[in-house]
Amino acid sequence: MKRTLPQSILLYVTLVLVIAILLFPVYWMVITSLAPSNALRSFPPQFWPQNPQWQTYTNLIFNSDMPRWLMNSALVAVAATAISMLVSVLAAYSLSRYTMRGSEAVGLFILMSKMLPATMLIIPLFSIFRNLGLMGSLWSLVIAHATAIVPFATWMLKGYFDSIPQELEQAAQVDGCTPWGALFRVILPVAAPGLAATALYGFVLSWADYLYARTFLANAAGNWTANVGIATFKGEYQTDWNVIMAASLLAALPIMIAYLFLQRYLVGGLAAGAGK
Amino acid sequence: MSELSQPRTDLAPVRRSSGLFGIDLASPRHASKLGYLLLAPAALLILAILVYPMLLAIDISFHDVKFATLSFGASEYTLANYQKLFSSPDFWKAIGVTAQLLVVVTSISMAVGMGTALLVNQQFRGRSFARMLIALPWAIPEVVAVVTWVWILDASFGVFNWLLIKAGLVGGPVSWFSQPGTAFSAVTMVMVWKGYPFISIMILAGLQSIPEEYYQAAKVDGANVFQRFFWITIPCIAPVLGVTLILTILWVFRDFSIIYVLTGGGPVGATETLAIMTYEEAFNFFRMGYASAIGVVTLLICAIISAFLVKKTSHAIY
Repeated sequence: MKRTLPQSILLYVTLVLVIAILLFPVYWMVITSLAPSNALRSFPPQFWPQNPQWQTYTNLIFNSDMPRWLMNSALVAVAATAISMLVSVLAAYSLSRYTMRGSEAVGLFILMSKMLPATMLIIPLFSIFRNLGLMGSLWSLVIAHATAIVPFATWMLKGYFDSIPQELEQAAQVDGCTPWGALFRVILPVAAPGLAATALYGFVLSWADYLYARTFLANAAGNWTANVGIATFKGEYQTDWNVIMAASLLAALPIMIAYLFLQRYLVGGLAAGAGK
Repeated sequence: MSELSQPRTDLAPVRRSSGLFGIDLASPRHASKLGYLLLAPAALLILAILVYPMLLAIDISFHDVKFATLSFGASEYTLANYQKLFSSPDFWKAIGVTAQLLVVVTSISMAVGMGTALLVNQQFRGRSFARMLIALPWAIPEVVAVVTWVWILDASFGVFNWLLIKAGLVGGPVSWFSQPGTAFSAVTMVMVWKGYPFISIMILAGLQSIPEEYYQAAKVDGANVFQRFFWITIPCIAPVLGVTLILTILWVFRDFSIIYVLTGGGPVGATETLAIMTYEEAFNFFRMGYASAIGVVTLLICAIISAFLVKKTSHAIY
């Protein structure tokens, strides 16, 4: 379809406008984080920092709890994602390839569990973790995050496996692979983009969590994750918005970078998983 | 663990017995053994961390459980929590707020998501870059996004007020979080901003699966852009729209972090949804039994909505 010049101009103007509006908060986060403290109490606000302050970042990185909180977030997200992926890959493969008695029920339950309100689930989890002595431990988060990641990852991966022809592992088995070998040496490499997208999604779910982290780690400040720390900033340093925004960017950055690299697979994955 | 070696020994007879490929993965005997084995870890995990806690929550909701006595087994079964709940004006108000938020946020974010998807589905240079940008808010953790919005909406030095004043829309700075109406608007705005990328991604995937020939044929028949949208685009992406709608509704229904960090449910309960109420009752007032009852009701409403919508949308598909 060919466009006339005015149509093209209209399209680009609309695009730039829409993207500018939708991404303004991200821009504002960056600008604020670089602004000197006194510039933040000026009205009209500065839309471009006169003299960017990198010191805000160096202070956060070298003289605050932020690195520790980020490390905690990373530890939890990696552990929760790894454990969830391990069980989800096997379950999704099973649901995709085998027809078993009860497998439909399991599939349905996995789907249904996405409906469980986290605010309801958190009450029994709180009770269980307290009895197990896990309160304040990062393991409580790993387990709690798995409750969200496992159903979603299984659902998404099943979509991926469904799109891979069965002939592939049949051929591998003809060539002497065991079913395990076919899964690990043939199917998983083929599904690698799907695995990466699903793992990223799991990582994002865990990294973004605030509800569980705030509840289970409330009395263990050393074990706080980045989100819990930032949320306390909101009340504590009400005026130091440059510090808060810099911390916020540090907490958002890992996910944003991963997203930039993997977004192509991610978009395909979300659609494949949900389109079923 | 002995079962791990099972599929292999199992393979030999199957290999001999079946035809073309030497093995038959669809053979029920072979299939079920390995199938169950692969499913077992996930099934056990889900039983332990989802099914058991869910049953526990339902159980707690039938007991008078305060924070200190979380060992609820001692007390008797009672309907008191539910009786108290259904006669509580706060509960009905939270239902109202939740329903209102559901309608407003879902419809606006579906519209914004659809518009954005249609826009970046056009042919133009830099298209994949634009797609990447519009989905970026999705990658920002909720709390981080919300804290940023709190700053943008700040009454004294927030850039949003400045823009509104400049545009002549308001006379002076608005204190967004101190009045029920504006607080509700703020929650709506932030939720739409956080929710539309996912919707765009989904709809875009749907749009890409529509064959270009449909549009060409319709054009030949003289259909205008609106007719093409309503008679080709919408029916073709109806299944995707249905799934997206369900997921969006469930998200708005259950979201905690955005509202909690933005307004804490206030002012005077104007943004207190069922999710916020559940959490507040459990962890601020330590009424675990009562909170669980709200959670169970929330779950039931979620189940009813999604069952209804699944039925409706599967009808649209076939």
